[in-house]
Amino acid sequence: MSNHDEKEIKTPGTFVLAIIFLVWFIVIYFVQWLALSDVWNLN
Amino acid sequence: MNGNKFSNQFRTCEATGLKVHLPAQKLFWVNAVSAVVFLLVGAIMAIMVALTRGFPSAHIITDSMFYQFLTAHGTNMLVFWIVFFEMAGLIFGATAILGSRFPAIKLAWFNWIIMIIGAIMVNYSIFWEGTDVMFTAYPPLAAKSPFFYLGIVLFAVGALIYCFQFLIALVIAKKEGWHEGSLPLFTFALVTAAIIAIFTLLMGAITFVPALLFSLKDWGLDLGINIDPAVFRLTFWGFGHSAQQINLAAMVGIWYLLGTLTVGAQPVNEKLSRWAFFLYIIAINLGSIHHLLVDPALKSTYKIFNTTYLMYAAVIGSLIHAVSIPAAIEVAQRKKGYTKGLFQWLRKAPWSDPGFSGLAISLVMFGFIGGVTGVVMSVEQLNILHHNNLRVPGHFHATVVAGTSLAFMVVAYKLIPLALQRKIVSEKMAKIQPYVFGIGILMVIVGMTFAGIMGVPRRSWDINSLGANIFSSGAYSMLVLVGIGGVVAFIGLLMFIVNAVLSVFFGKKIPSKIEIHNPPYETASAKAVTAES
Repeated sequence: MSNHDEKEIKTPGTFVLAIIFLVWFIVIYFVQWLALSDVWNLN
Repeated sequence: MNGNKFSNQFRTCEATGLKVHLPAQKLFWVNAVSAVVFLLVGAIMAIMVALTRGFPSAHIITDSMFYQFLTAHGTNMLVFWIVFFEMAGLIFGATAILGSRFPAIKLAWFNWIIMIIGAIMVNYSIFWEGTDVMFTAYPPLAAKSPFFYLGIVLFAVGALIYCFQFLIALVIAKKEGWHEGSLPLFTFALVTAAIIAIFTLLMGAITFVPALLFSLKDWGLDLGINIDPAVFRLTFWGFGHSAQQINLAAMVGIWYLLGTLTVGAQPVNEKLSRWAFFLYIIAINLGSIHHLLVDPALKSTYKIFNTTYLMYAAVIGSLIHAVSIPAAIEVAQRKKGYTKGLFQWLRKAPWSDPGFSGLAISLVMFGFIGGVTGVVMSVEQLNILHHNNLRVPGHFHATVVAGTSLAFMVVAYKLIPLALQRKIVSEKMAKIQPYVFGIGILMVIVGMTFAGIMGVPRRSWDINSLGANIFSSGAYSMLVLVGIGGVVAFIGLLMFIVNAVLSVFFGKKIPSKIEIHNPPYETASAKAVTAES
């Protein structure tokens, strides 16, 4: 198991990186649906 | 303690203190060198294909050569380079990491021989007979002779036996007292890879043995076997995509290892990381169905259930690793005093160590490009935007090349001194190689992705032959980017190959003590077992 003491686990930088990744994923996912709606019109 | 009959087969690495089983070291050597040889073959094919795609009017190679070279590129890179390197990894993970021995050394050599014969057979069929079925080999496309299928089957059988030997080696390590307690995380990742590999190789047998029997007609032996293309496609991807999941598990294991070797990172929650690997085992192969999302032979419910609900379990596994590896690095760096602001730990990381820079480039490009596009492509409706255009190779060059291959290359810089007792010939070249390769392959990925968005098909020798003015000038610019990026990545790849080969053969020898190494956790019953064997 991990050798870390729980008190010493501080990862604010990783948290910010994870948020950047999340935003990137949301943008890419949304843009794909937008692109699909451009070529596949439903009414 | 008098030791057992294997105790005099070890050396002690002076830098790490690891006990290396000498017969296993030779096996590691031969598998790693084989991997690099096939990497070179695949790389030469890659540059020819990239230049042909990048500058379609130049017709650098003929159309028939293009499809032969593409077949050779796919099989040498996706199968031979990666699987030989993984076999070397399995041997290292079961022996040096555990301080244990590798069982049935003669059988292991036999495996390597049939794998080599298989790989040579496949290349013979491509280059001499003109087989151009490409990596997927979908019927009714047929290889020029049974050698192609026989080669793949032989290679798969050798690799399959290696996987079982690896698992037996772990049992022996415990039983004979070489290792006690849980497996280290790196070896645990290799267990994940080996389990996925067994499934993959069995699927390969189900796919290629009937194809081999069918192809025997070419040699006058008609067994009355017919191949159903829909079944072939389904079982092929049980092999073809699952093979990339072996890479994924091995690559993530290497990321953890590189974190430890470069900054002394320890997983922040090792149990969680192990669970993430377990999610790979139960769910990741289901994602293979995303290759068949436009296949009319399969029902939508089946496709959607596999590629979304079930596959997302594996995606969660990847997300856990994607956060826990940077977190482990951040904790290690902060412990060293790099606590200023949000990112001092990252700025002060050892960016001139190829192990670290390669890890960072591999992780970011795999996650931000390969992972995200992979999830998007697995949505049935969105898949239609990608199907059979250059976005698909754009995706898998981010996963398999920028991710897996780069991770394998940079870990080689660590393993050559550690496992093969040779110093890296040019540390300077090793320092810049991950950057050169990373920039080149990023250009290839961006070029392919945007050309694909503009409708450029994959696997096409000359898109101009499809008719005038179909593609915009932007699409051609993106193809030029693929060509230029291909040249840069090729230079990066050659830097690795030259450095690795020179180091393995001519690198300064690192001294190592040959000394008796007895199983440290040997019990009386274990002694009896060893004596019997």
